[in-house]
Amino acid sequence: MDSRAFRRFRRNKGALVGLFLVIFVTALGLLGPWLAPYDPVEQFTDRLLLANGLPAGPGVEPGHWLGGDILARDELSRLLSGARVSMLVAYLATALAVLIGVALGLLSGYVGGRTDTYLMRLVDVVLSMPFLLIAIVMQRVFDAPGIWTICIVLGVLSWTTLARVTRAKTMEARELDYIQAARALGLRHFRILARHVLPNVVGPIIAIATIMVARMIIAESALSFLNLGVRPPTASWGSMLNESQSLLLGLPRLTVYPALLISMAVFGFNLFGEGLRDAFDPKD
Amino acid sequence: MMQFILQRALWGVLVVMSVVTLVFFLIFVAGDPAVTILGPQARAEQIADFKAKKGLDQPVPEQFLSYLGVMPCIRKDSPKYSSPDGVRGFCGLLQGDLGESYSHHESVANVIGYRLPRTLLLASLAVLFELVIGLTAGIIAALRRNRWSDTAIMFGTFIGISLPTYVTGPIALLLFAFLLGWFPYGGYGVDPLDHIYHALLPALILAIAGAATYARVMRGELIETLRHDHVRTAKAKGMPMPQVIRKHAIRNALLPIATLIGLSLPFLVGGAIITEKIFAWPGLGLLTIESIESLDAPVIMAVVLMFGIAVQVGNLLADIAVAALDPRIRLSD
Amino acid sequence: MHSTPKTDPWRPARWLSFGLAALAVALLLGWVIAHFPKAPIGPRYVGAGHPSPQSGGTLVFSAGSNIHTLDPHFAYDTLSTAACRLLYDGLLDYDYDGNMIPSLAAELPTVSDAGRAFRFELRHGIKFHNGREITAHDISWSLHRLLSKSTGSPGYPFYKSIVGAPAYHRGEAKRIEGIRVVDDKTIEFQLDEADQTFLNALAMPFAYPLPKEHVEELEAAEGLDAVGRHPIGAGPFAFSRWERGVQVEFRRFEDYWAPRARVDRMVFLENISPDVASARFRNGDLDVIHRPSKVNRLFMRESKAWAPYRAEVPSPSVYAIGLNCELPPFDNVHVRRAVAFAIDRSKLERLNPGEVLAAGQVLPPMLAPHDPELPTRQRFDLQRAKKEMRLAGFPDGLSEPITLWVRGEGDVRGAQLFQQDLKEIGIEIDLKMVSFATYLKETGKPRVAQAAFTGWHQDFPDPSNFMDILFHSRSIHPVNSENRSFYRNPKLDAILDAARAEVDREKRLALYAEANAILADDAPWAFLSYAVDMFAWQPYVKGFQPHPVWLNEYRNVWLDLPRKRVGQGIYEGGAGL
Repeated sequence: MDSRAFRRFRRNKGALVGLFLVIFVTALGLLGPWLAPYDPVEQFTDRLLLANGLPAGPGVEPGHWLGGDILARDELSRLLSGARVSMLVAYLATALAVLIGVALGLLSGYVGGRTDTYLMRLVDVVLSMPFLLIAIVMQRVFDAPGIWTICIVLGVLSWTTLARVTRAKTMEARELDYIQAARALGLRHFRILARHVLPNVVGPIIAIATIMVARMIIAESALSFLNLGVRPPTASWGSMLNESQSLLLGLPRLTVYPALLISMAVFGFNLFGEGLRDAFDPKD
Repeated sequence: MMQFILQRALWGVLVVMSVVTLVFFLIFVAGDPAVTILGPQARAEQIADFKAKKGLDQPVPEQFLSYLGVMPCIRKDSPKYSSPDGVRGFCGLLQGDLGESYSHHESVANVIGYRLPRTLLLASLAVLFELVIGLTAGIIAALRRNRWSDTAIMFGTFIGISLPTYVTGPIALLLFAFLLGWFPYGGYGVDPLDHIYHALLPALILAIAGAATYARVMRGELIETLRHDHVRTAKAKGMPMPQVIRKHAIRNALLPIATLIGLSLPFLVGGAIITEKIFAWPGLGLLTIESIESLDAPVIMAVVLMFGIAVQVGNLLADIAVAALDPRIRLSD
Repeated sequence: MHSTPKTDPWRPARWLSFGLAALAVALLLGWVIAHFPKAPIGPRYVGAGHPSPQSGGTLVFSAGSNIHTLDPHFAYDTLSTAACRLLYDGLLDYDYDGNMIPSLAAELPTVSDAGRAFRFELRHGIKFHNGREITAHDISWSLHRLLSKSTGSPGYPFYKSIVGAPAYHRGEAKRIEGIRVVDDKTIEFQLDEADQTFLNALAMPFAYPLPKEHVEELEAAEGLDAVGRHPIGAGPFAFSRWERGVQVEFRRFEDYWAPRARVDRMVFLENISPDVASARFRNGDLDVIHRPSKVNRLFMRESKAWAPYRAEVPSPSVYAIGLNCELPPFDNVHVRRAVAFAIDRSKLERLNPGEVLAAGQVLPPMLAPHDPELPTRQRFDLQRAKKEMRLAGFPDGLSEPITLWVRGEGDVRGAQLFQQDLKEIGIEIDLKMVSFATYLKETGKPRVAQAAFTGWHQDFPDPSNFMDILFHSRSIHPVNSENRSFYRNPKLDAILDAARAEVDREKRLALYAEANAILADDAPWAFLSYAVDMFAWQPYVKGFQPHPVWLNEYRNVWLDLPRKRVGQGIYEGGAGL
């Protein structure tokens, strides 16, 4: 990030709030499982299950800060270990999308010609795919969905914007004098791409990827919400939201916790990404 | 212009075809619709019978070609399978035949016919809410730029974009339907007026994200426009503010809004999957989820097809709108 | 945008406005919390107070999944049955005590030939919805349709004891010899061997008569499943319209042979999940609910306001872990017993209070000869389980984990409960979650699934319906076995065959009691629980009562309209947040 962009970013209070939230949820994802006081799949039927079969509420049982979930598992531990799954899926899927998108975008923009035409047609095709619909079909079709299939499904379906932006930026960069010169000097293409083109593209990519993480969090939760996400008993925020649906009227808190975390994470990544975009690509 | 549209349309058909192909092979190399559809107590002969009837016992490529309508019909239960003159007819997409739903025991066209009007009702209410809320908020924010109401609205739009419907939906149901008793707790109702009453809450939830987006776009455009010379002149001449906004600013902002509506249409029509599920609104979205759960392949295919077409048409309309409204853009690929 | 403004100077007015805004938000929040709406603790609507049954109104009820068909010859699930119960009548029926009563038949049949022949006289004035009088020919024709190969009804096995039915089913005979129409109002059935379950079979929806002319016309025009779309029966309600997967509508049949139904219109909503249905019910959007979701069920159990408008009845079903008797280690009866004794079923009862009863034998509590004191009944006894593991030759447990097949979320929850229990006797469980379709396909094949969650819901109130189907060696097939634990026991087979033919009720029950004891002891299934159903209805819904066989029985309901919204008095207690 060059210093002007950095200054622009630092002045954007919203972006700073976003950054803070991003750091917070990412730290939850990284450290969550270690911070979790209990095994997230262990059922404390003796402690966290009230006589009426409902889980104990927050603070009823010492040590179980947020009480139990529908199966008498420690809610806090599940939220924390769910953070790992949700963040992992979001980051990995985004990384995959960035990998595909940037590679194809660079190729398309740098080589141009037919390659470019075909690749952009491919982008059009993928873009015309109903994202959620295809993801649902794929998840349904892979009978036992795991974290990896979700990442791949989400990543493979969402690299298009990145490819387009990379391509545009690459084409811009390609016309720059010094890159023309480098080409004329016979520098290796890979070297030119890596040394001279990529740095021009990196800023917008980071901004888009950040917003994409937010989209991935939403997508993963949506799949889990439709029961097509991670397999139980693994927790993710989306699957916790799904599990708590049947208790919505009686124990809304089980819906509220994951809902809050999802919203907070998405909100953070959106704010942060938007801030980055404004910083890299000021309108004036 | 005409050439461009034709080109785009042709390209659109190609794209839709490739999506259909992909999904078709996804579904038919995977799960076993016959067993899912026939249910727990089905016997082997029944399953075999079902497969034979639906042509599921044929090789997948043949099923696909027959589905497209370039190969004679393989579905034994189709009237096309045995015509009086002994020649097998075609019963595929090319003939406008979407097939028979496995689980609804009805033609896919009929099933979609039931569902589409409801989804359209929901979608049109949602667009209405999006426009009314979004544009109003956007105009207020732009006029009161950098004041606290602007900040609040912009903050609100961020929250609106960040709240998925599976978060807002259940909470709205809990609050406005169950605790306050203002709205029915999901569903579609039994009589026509009832339908609209039942649609209000889901439409509102569906509209949140769109309204937030429109508000942001409207604000940006309006701010941009207000700085244009002719607007300044108009203001300087003493034209009252509401009129300035009506005459100049909104017209300019309509372009990107129209584009956005065009682009969001397919998502409203086919993509309200989660909202319809939460509110048990029996439209296309719910149909999609149901048919995917039961692996009702013909319905899934039809939904994918419709969605693909909607995306293409939406894109095309958006492009045309841009071209028609903005003379600076020339339509050439 | 402006060129970059420098850091904001201190502007008191601005900070003041922020402060005011914050104050306003805080006040608003406080107001919202203070006035937060409370959950309704009782019904939102009550009836108008008519003392005697009234005609009119629309009854709305729902179910959690799809109705498969309205063609009674294919109705083999609870929802299709519930819908068909409105549209059709058969020769026989059950009353609210589960006793068999005549319906289209004028009285119960005369039995002869040592329990092999049954003769029915039909009522006069019984009509199909198209207005035509029902004759014995209709009964006969309908059974022929049911049992023909081309129809392919799942009901065939229940009727194959009729003389000539198998030959007819195979297409070797033009008609079923054992069904004889004596005159327009008299019909006789002749069986191959004495089979006391046969009258139950005749009371099943499979045997409900359809009008021949209507069916033939429809099927010629629209194919075999057309009847399910435009059904015509003899029941108290006629068909209006059906949107598959969404709702079915019925209207009252004015020419019904018994007292006419009171409700004008019935709307049967499909695919409404239990939690949504419960919320709608408590909101007053649904008139009757069957199986509310867990939280709502607890609420309804404890709510005094709802107490007069709910009922809990054991459901005739059993839930279990099926153990594959052909595959190691469950080919060893001691390992099976060990599992049966290691499972602490009280956990299920504690987790789902009132929703389940611990099970120790295949027959549910309301079905004779269920015996709560059965000596061989399965129960939690860790010492006994460990002893059985020693007897099996695995004193230190199994070296390999067991793969337990589960059908989805609900099963997983149950399975996780017992993972810990089985670890105690050295059995590790790997869960294999598969879709319902895969589950059915694979567990129906021999030597595939080691262990699987399983269960059974009765078709008719007779022990044979559980035991013959689930554990007789006849029910083992290369694919789609009904005997999914592949249990073979010649002694049990002999007892079951004898019981089936036995005319004397007491002797019959004694035989089934013996079989029941063997099954609990041999443990092809480790029985887990029996379900308990809850029904609730709005105060303005009168005459509703859960039926022991049909469960959802809406024929006698009337509505006390117009309903009145109850005041705020019932809104007490916290929102539960």
